[in-house]
Amino acid sequence: MNSKVGALVKREVRSYYWSPLAYVLMGVFLFLMGSIFTKFIILYQQYNFQQSMGSGPSVTLDKLANYFYQNMAFVLCFIAPFVTMRLYAEEKRQSTMELLLTAPISSTSIVLSKYISAMLLIFSVVALTMLYVFFLVLWGNPDLQVILSTYIGLLLMLSTYMAVGALISAFTSSQAIAAIFTFLTVLLLWLFQSFGQGMTATTGPIEWGPLMIYLSPLSHFTSFSNGLVQVKDVVYFVSFTAVALFLTHQVVESHRWK
Amino acid sequence: MIQVDGITKKYGDRIAVNDVTFTVNRGEILGFLGQNGAGKTTTMKILTGYMPATAGKAKIAGFDVFESPLEVKSRIGYLPETPPVYPELLVDEYLSFIAELRGVPKADREKKKANAVELCNLGDVRYRLIGNLSKGYRQRVGLAQAILHEPEVLVLDEPTVGLDPKQVSEIRKLIKSMAGSRTIIYSTHILTEVAATCDRILVIEKGKLVAQEALNEFGATGEVVKTEIVMNKSSDKAMAAVQKVPGVKNVRRVEDGAHRFIVETEAREDLLAEVARAVVESGAGLVRMAPVALALEEYYLNLISGRISA
Repeated sequence: MNSKVGALVKREVRSYYWSPLAYVLMGVFLFLMGSIFTKFIILYQQYNFQQSMGSGPSVTLDKLANYFYQNMAFVLCFIAPFVTMRLYAEEKRQSTMELLLTAPISSTSIVLSKYISAMLLIFSVVALTMLYVFFLVLWGNPDLQVILSTYIGLLLMLSTYMAVGALISAFTSSQAIAAIFTFLTVLLLWLFQSFGQGMTATTGPIEWGPLMIYLSPLSHFTSFSNGLVQVKDVVYFVSFTAVALFLTHQVVESHRWK
Repeated sequence: MIQVDGITKKYGDRIAVNDVTFTVNRGEILGFLGQNGAGKTTTMKILTGYMPATAGKAKIAGFDVFESPLEVKSRIGYLPETPPVYPELLVDEYLSFIAELRGVPKADREKKKANAVELCNLGDVRYRLIGNLSKGYRQRVGLAQAILHEPEVLVLDEPTVGLDPKQVSEIRKLIKSMAGSRTIIYSTHILTEVAATCDRILVIEKGKLVAQEALNEFGATGEVVKTEIVMNKSSDKAMAAVQKVPGVKNVRRVEDGAHRFIVETEAREDLLAEVARAVVESGAGLVRMAPVALALEEYYLNLISGRISA
């Protein structure tokens, strides 16, 4: 089974890097992050200057790095749907899904291979930002442990994005629809954090405010970007991914009992 | 090898396949005939485990399609209606992917790929992008995909659509060459194709199986072969002579003034030789003897228009 998952992943990655989409995404992502990084350097210089004059807030490099990675996590909400949109939608459109579903492989292998491919692809994009870490080290003295935990947080957060995106792609044969709905879902989950903050409504024992904050990946990612690797946050991301992958499996299997 | 027992498939209220039962023996080539939308593709999708039947059972090599899908799928090669190819891959990459997907052992992969490339005549395009190939080539890449792992059972959904006449005849030859070693189900709506390649035909109409016939060595159904005989002189004496040949069932004149008649005989080649001798000996001047090629078509058209019932 493993070699078949390998074959599927290889094919997926090969197809992705053949398309201009991969390079456009990388370009857009690097452009956005580059702009934010530049702004962050200018801010840092300003604050440092103000502080040396004896006024202004005290801002550490680590605080700004935190701000930078929060921005990156948000930008990735826009990038993720473009990575996952084609996973199933394209297979259905060009009727290669029929090939996969009549080949001697299990639906589990298909679902796993799609998820692994998506993770490899999105991480190849995020890996480009190691460049900024290099600059930070070269030029300041950042807390590398915090940066490491931030990247672990990013990996886990992207894992949920990829799983949700794959699930949505499995419902349609249109890449555009898959991308739009994935984006909406990811954005909504992200915004749950701020929705939940002012909310006091309760239904029986359910307190909507804290529940929404709990459901938002943002609240869990924040712990990681603050340097905290907590089991409860890991559990959140892993179970979120697992549920989405399970549902994707059901959708892929559904053709068998429709 | 293939047993289909009372398969029914409903899409909502619409019945696509209605209680279809048939078997295909090992090494047999079965032609699956029917108009577009008659239920051929649906039946094939059920056989390959792509979709389940609403009712009924299908077994391939003794394995139930629904209960042991992986066993069945590893024994089948399937060419769907649209060749399932990735336009962004090279033909060679695609075939490697298929070999891995089908679990062909690493040591055999190159050999089997080379074999499929040769059989499907893909040597010229092996290192080209599938997306840049013509429809005919893509169809052949699809076929190469189906035969690469040398499956026991081949399910081909209209394999010759979109090919030019030369390619069509090559594909037919290829299919014919696999007779005996593989069991093949092959759907089409082109009758001459069936006559040229198949051992047996199934005719499906509006989801129902309307006929199952073995094809004789003349590519026609049943026990009777029709041959048209043309002479350059009056045909009366010749007709009388032919009528006396044992095995001749019926002789009838073609009513268009020419010296022609049609003879119906049992399906034996030696019999035709005797008919020819009888004509020549009667002194009628034999010009031409030709099988009535439309026999199958006539049968089929009669069948689907409901004039005969099987």
